[in-house]
Amino acid sequence: MLVLDTVSYRYAGAAGDAVTKISLDLRDQEVVGLVGANESGKSTVCLVASGLAPRAIGGVLGGRVLIDGADVAGRPIHELVGTVGICFQNPETQLSGVTETVFEEVAFGPANLGIDRDELVRRTGEALETLGIQGLARRDPRRLSGGQMQLVALAGLLALQPRYLVLDEPTAQLDPAGTRLVGEALQALAQRGSAILIAEHKTDLLAGLCGRIAVLQRGELAMLGGAQEVLADDRLEGLGIAAPVQGRLQRRIDALGLAATSIAPEPGR
Amino acid sequence: MTHLHLEGLSHVYPGGVRALEGVDLEIHPTERLALVGENGSGKTTLVRHLNGLLRPTSGRVLIDGRDAALLRVAQLSRLIGLAFQNPDHQIFSSTVRREVMFGARNAGLRGGVLEDAVVRSLRLVGLEQVRDDNPYDLGYSRRKLLAIASVLAMDTQVVILDEPTTGQDAPGVAAIERLVGGLSEAGRTVIAVSHDMRFVAETFSRVVVMQAGRIALDGPVETVFAEQSWPALAASRLEPPPAARLGASLGLGSTPTETALLAAIGAGRS
Amino acid sequence: MNEPGPEGPLEAPRADSPYHRLNPLTKAVSATVTGIAALVLGGVIGPALLTLVAVIIPAAIAGVLRVLVRTTLLLSLPIGISAVLVNVFFFPAGRDVLLRVGPITATGEGLSLALEVLARILAISGAITLFYLTTRPSDFVADLEHRGVSSRLAFVANASAQTVPQMLERAGSIVAAQRARGLDTEGSIVRRLRALPPLVGPVILGTLGEVEERTMALEARGFSRPGRRTLLRIPADSGVQRLTRWLLVGGLSVLAASRILGVPG
Repeated sequence: MLVLDTVSYRYAGAAGDAVTKISLDLRDQEVVGLVGANESGKSTVCLVASGLAPRAIGGVLGGRVLIDGADVAGRPIHELVGTVGICFQNPETQLSGVTETVFEEVAFGPANLGIDRDELVRRTGEALETLGIQGLARRDPRRLSGGQMQLVALAGLLALQPRYLVLDEPTAQLDPAGTRLVGEALQALAQRGSAILIAEHKTDLLAGLCGRIAVLQRGELAMLGGAQEVLADDRLEGLGIAAPVQGRLQRRIDALGLAATSIAPEPGR
Repeated sequence: MTHLHLEGLSHVYPGGVRALEGVDLEIHPTERLALVGENGSGKTTLVRHLNGLLRPTSGRVLIDGRDAALLRVAQLSRLIGLAFQNPDHQIFSSTVRREVMFGARNAGLRGGVLEDAVVRSLRLVGLEQVRDDNPYDLGYSRRKLLAIASVLAMDTQVVILDEPTTGQDAPGVAAIERLVGGLSEAGRTVIAVSHDMRFVAETFSRVVVMQAGRIALDGPVETVFAEQSWPALAASRLEPPPAARLGASLGLGSTPTETALLAAIGAGRS
Repeated sequence: MNEPGPEGPLEAPRADSPYHRLNPLTKAVSATVTGIAALVLGGVIGPALLTLVAVIIPAAIAGVLRVLVRTTLLLSLPIGISAVLVNVFFFPAGRDVLLRVGPITATGEGLSLALEVLARILAISGAITLFYLTTRPSDFVADLEHRGVSSRLAFVANASAQTVPQMLERAGSIVAAQRARGLDTEGSIVRRLRALPPLVGPVILGTLGEVEERTMALEARGFSRPGRRTLLRIPADSGVQRLTRWLLVGGLSVLAASRILGVPG
């Protein structure tokens, strides 16, 4: 279990805390969604959970980050990469920039760990296969579509075999086709039992993915609960979050006194 | 009132990528038009022809009947404002206010008119509170609103927004929706490039679907998102907005917007 | 995501040939020795023969002769033309007058010196181009790492070589964005100077922001771990190539020594 225990974090040079006293846990095989208006602290929580804050970017961390009960403070980032992995929203800045094929790109992370070469090849192939992108193995990663590039970034993360995945708005910069591609890959990962913490504006995507959802407001945890209850909560709009279309429309229909009209999920779409 | 007309517009990038192939398009004053299509379909290439950043390989761009080829980019920028997708490709000033002033000053605004334009556009995007802040202290989504404001302040007849809702939260998207409506009411033409079909349906009146450098569909929102257009949308790797899908699944005809959906349900009940 | 911008052929064609399959270090040594030898040799015939043997023939074997000629000319023409003009027309000691246009005189001595300079420039840029056209950067880096060069150093060298096209793309996009806001990049010098801050500012600020993102992404992939990385593949080497490299370096040393000591070459 990955636990944030009353975590606060202040960026280097900032006047105040970006997040304050956040307590959140990510259990094994669980998908937790993280929603909130812009600048409410979603990305910060992702950086803290992945260990990059404060290790890679400085700043001041309060509270504790625990993995299986052990405080990870003081452990260098390269010791954490096999345990927690993070994927960012911009696929381009996640490419190492020094590889010429997708296979090499996905192998970049585990190669840094100095593992055995056969093991490296095996893990890389496995990661590509998990996301269904073996077909891209020999392509130039810089010449892919945004969605494909993001899958490559995700595969590069999987090849490190982390137990917990942290995804910071993985579809934010993708076109509809790319969003669908990555969304399907995330579904597949969730079904395989990966533990995922995912920040995302697209609540429709979260609705089908998450067990629980945490809502942030100005750096604090405003709500935490089962995905269905949270996404149906009236307070979401006030917190700057668009609820999934289906539920939101149903509520507006109900409010119009058209209670008998149900807009049940469309089959097979 | 500015009338835009693309005639047989083709563009081939150096290196041979054919980005546009014989595009014909007329855009009338005060129209709210959304350009949609997957990445690489030619949307951005198309809008960059409107202000002369790209010049046609063949065909013409006519602005109020005048060939845009005769005008320099600096001249065209006074007629047609284009806010780029990535705000970090343009922000360089030390304060939000100065950044907004840059374009307006280039457009020839001075004195009180300039001040007015700056204040007004900052208010439109909701950044008046942070006008003296350093732009890079703002998050990405607010930097993006700033980039839009700096183009609005130029007071152009035509405003083009490239992917305005990327990275915006619900209030940010709502602000942009209001802004587009306001511009259109003020008699300006608004063109947006977008991947967000809900935003497109709720905010624009006409949709042009691009596919491989050509126009695949062009019509009012109700037609482009109607069920009979779905196969064509799917061929362009697009999906209709959620309200359109719900309306169709309930047999209510074309309901691209949430308001239209609710109205159709209401009408069916009573 | 950006739509594909004006993309040129940023990458060398991925052909395969016996020359491509040489160890990257062999090709690097060959390019370096060719360049230095052209400088040391001087004259026109020496560098020209060298270019034929060490650049043109290997390029023909590798099947990249056309691209090589085009790229080399593109690289060396700007310097080449100015070198020719300066030498032909402004060689002070020139006596053998070829042509007189107003106050400017072209001399035979100037012309031959210009040809010498041109021959060297062509040899050097040809040798470098051949290396780039026939060697994948990642192979070269893997080979260096295999030979014990620090993986961080190798990464930095490789990354900086490969980010040039990205920087150019970003610069292009910034110019476009500012012109769309009415920035006039044409016209008088004063106007152009005034156009600098809006162009340079975003390049620097944007690059800084991106560097942080890239750094985090690298850290998250274990880049800062001390110790050796696993190499996916190690470019093949052979005894013959090792010997060749030593012979090339040895030959160059002998040539340089003979020049310095004044032995007629």
